[in-house]
Amino acid sequence: MTDAKVSQPGSIFDPDLLSRCISCGFCLPACPTYELTGDEASSPRGRITLMRALESGTLAADDPTLAEQASFCLGCRACEPVCPAGVQYGELLEQWRGYQWAGRRRPLVVRFLVIAAERAWAHRIAGRLRGAARTPASASGPSLMLGCFERTLFPEVSKSALALAPELAVPARQGCCGALHAHNGEPERGRELAKQLGAQLPGQIVSTAGGCAAYLAAVIGRDRVAELSEYLRDKPFGEVRIGDRRARVALQDSCHLRNGLGVWREPRALLNAIADYVELPGAGQCCGAAGTYALVRPRDSRRVLDPKLDQIEAAGIDYVVAVNPGCLRQLRQGLHRRKSKVRAVHIADLLRLAGADEPAGKPGHGTDTRVSPVP
Amino acid sequence: MIYSKGPGGMDNVWSGMFAWLTMIDQLCMPAPVLTELRAIVGPGNLRLAAGELAVYARDATPLFRGMPDAVIAPADGEQVARILRLATEHRIPVVPRGAGSNLCAGTVPLNGGIVLSTARMNRILEVAPDEMLARAQTGVTTQALNDAAAAHRLFYPPDPGSRTVSTIGGNVATCAGGLRGLKYGVTRNYVLGLTVVLPTGEIIRTGGRLWKDVAGYDLTRLITGSEGTLGVITEVTVALLPDPAISRTGLAYFDSLAQAGRAVAGILAAGVIPSTLEFLDRKCIDAVEQYAHLGLHSDAGALLLFGDDGDEAAVARSFERIAAACADCGAIAVQTAGDATESEALLTARRCTLPALSRLGSLTILEDASVPRPRLAEMVARIDAIAARYQVTMATFGHAGDGNLHPTCVLESAADTEGIARAERAFADVFGTAIELGGTITGEHGVGAAKLPYLGKRLGTEQMALLRRIKTAFDPAGILNPGKLGS
Repeated sequence: MTDAKVSQPGSIFDPDLLSRCISCGFCLPACPTYELTGDEASSPRGRITLMRALESGTLAADDPTLAEQASFCLGCRACEPVCPAGVQYGELLEQWRGYQWAGRRRPLVVRFLVIAAERAWAHRIAGRLRGAARTPASASGPSLMLGCFERTLFPEVSKSALALAPELAVPARQGCCGALHAHNGEPERGRELAKQLGAQLPGQIVSTAGGCAAYLAAVIGRDRVAELSEYLRDKPFGEVRIGDRRARVALQDSCHLRNGLGVWREPRALLNAIADYVELPGAGQCCGAAGTYALVRPRDSRRVLDPKLDQIEAAGIDYVVAVNPGCLRQLRQGLHRRKSKVRAVHIADLLRLAGADEPAGKPGHGTDTRVSPVP
Repeated sequence: MIYSKGPGGMDNVWSGMFAWLTMIDQLCMPAPVLTELRAIVGPGNLRLAAGELAVYARDATPLFRGMPDAVIAPADGEQVARILRLATEHRIPVVPRGAGSNLCAGTVPLNGGIVLSTARMNRILEVAPDEMLARAQTGVTTQALNDAAAAHRLFYPPDPGSRTVSTIGGNVATCAGGLRGLKYGVTRNYVLGLTVVLPTGEIIRTGGRLWKDVAGYDLTRLITGSEGTLGVITEVTVALLPDPAISRTGLAYFDSLAQAGRAVAGILAAGVIPSTLEFLDRKCIDAVEQYAHLGLHSDAGALLLFGDDGDEAAVARSFERIAAACADCGAIAVQTAGDATESEALLTARRCTLPALSRLGSLTILEDASVPRPRLAEMVARIDAIAARYQVTMATFGHAGDGNLHPTCVLESAADTEGIARAERAFADVFGTAIELGGTITGEHGVGAAKLPYLGKRLGTEQMALLRRIKTAFDPAGILNPGKLGS
């Protein structure tokens, strides 16, 4: 890994973006870390005050509060939809981390992940071994993006997506979307990778990972990217049944899909069609996975997750559905720890289980009404 | 002795001095005091690091900054009492702070000292449907309180724009207003009782659960709007009303604000008291249209947004009268919403006024003044003239029903000190004009540090002297929120 050039106070942030905030504080109730602490420093407004202090030099560049808050932030961007001034907090955080997490200051686990994500050949081999979807190189049409970690961790997701939309091309040769880099201190490298992926997969790109979709769209253009539920929204589906009743399901939004891309109605509409949909009170709030966060700050990640698990268990549901692999992993682990009966599944897998639009009670995919457990 | 390092602190001029000043302050805040503060709230709830303090140097008010020496978050009234006793003993300034969403620099620690955050006192203690009241700790957000009331089909009428973030304690301390002021009044009309910690450490309970209670001076009303200068509010009892069945909105366009003003008089003369009666001037309409593309009338001189709530038949009746009154006064067009969704859509114009204006530059100064209702159009015309004289961009929107206006100045750059100075002179003229027309320098934002220079002009020497005597009676050492109201 090469260190990108490290920016210095005075040139870390885009001045237009940094001056947008009017400090009204409307973001406070939306912020999960402010909810945990009640401390201004861990609110979006407080963090922007910190960014400004860093940029102007009123706080020392190595101030420990700067380092702590740049890392404590989940980066969920829940503050963006509620901001009356249109502050692009996500962008600002990327620039901030670009400074705070430059070179050696970056957490070890993040350094490892960023290196791993760049090894496209390794993902190709691992994906092959794990049985992720692939189509002949000659296939044309919209492309399915595999996602570097989803390919290995949840290979069944891409297979389900391909089963749901057989017209998709799934070339094995595809790189990382760069979101991991951008959110973890290498914004420039992130953009580079996103552009490369955009060139590798011409035409429309369909993603089963909300976070990747949002980042890719921000770099190569919204019109070229569709998240899976968005792509499938007009397709008819059957039902998911448990015994003689419709399954009860809830959704966990992907933060960047919801707050960055504005996609949250589409997965709900699909789930409503295939099962009895239950809206969790905090469905739109971060589950604590937040990209690398669950690995960098496991304890805080659990503090964010715990109230959500309480809600999931109290809702009387069979499945909680994720639209992003990080959330899926986080929910599965959390529910497993609690020995919960509720299963966490990816929306692609649940839609595949519902099958094509067939008479109710006849699942379109074997006789098994349960999705396979954690791989 | 109150140690002071004067106002300012975050400006570029100060940047080099900053670390040095922080060091001096540490010396000024005696170590035994810090030890004791830590013992009161526990180490995790006392913050002293430079970065942790920097975020409390400002609130939602632009241009006002002051570094605190410590930030403390007590868990209850007992802890607040111990902190205040200690502060009085050592003459350390204490600035109570809720969500920091006020627009009068009311929570900026201009003299340093301790910022006392109410964030941990955030429990709703009870909703009593049979008494139609709610009791909550000071740090509960106004929205959360209203949600708890709604579970019992009740509602808390004051609805300041910041209700999702602002705390009920902060609302009481600033006597917050909102869109429903004309029909329902403001915060002071709903406060039944308060628990307040005096700067000398005594805990008092004013009022209680009663609508009728004339035992003693009305300290509840005195403390409501006292902006954290008389005591720290730790618990609030508020009256609730039955939740209205429906709420509808409509809007009307006029050639001029004068015409809209006549329509407002006509509506009230027809015996209707709308729950909402807001206006946007021409510049606001342009900014909103440019920003949100709502399809607003491009050649209207003023927009009047009206709304009412209650049962369906009553709302329909008042809408008929409102529409008739607007037509009588020469409205260009009148639009009424059929349902809640359409109502929301019409409200968008008002909701996005500030965001739309703020996009015109990078420094937005949202101000607040009130005039008697019939003088509203005249006031807006005078504001336009003042803005032209000082060559600043100023647009005005506000509450037509109660004469409360929000002239808003937008500057291209926050570094434009010359422009800021012109804006400040323009606002001084605006407040002077408001007083001249029989109005006031602030309708709902508060005095804080931002309006203190104009307060004497509004109240006169005798009242100012009385205010200071009241302040001294409550706070003999002058530790609570110095440099603000009562100073």
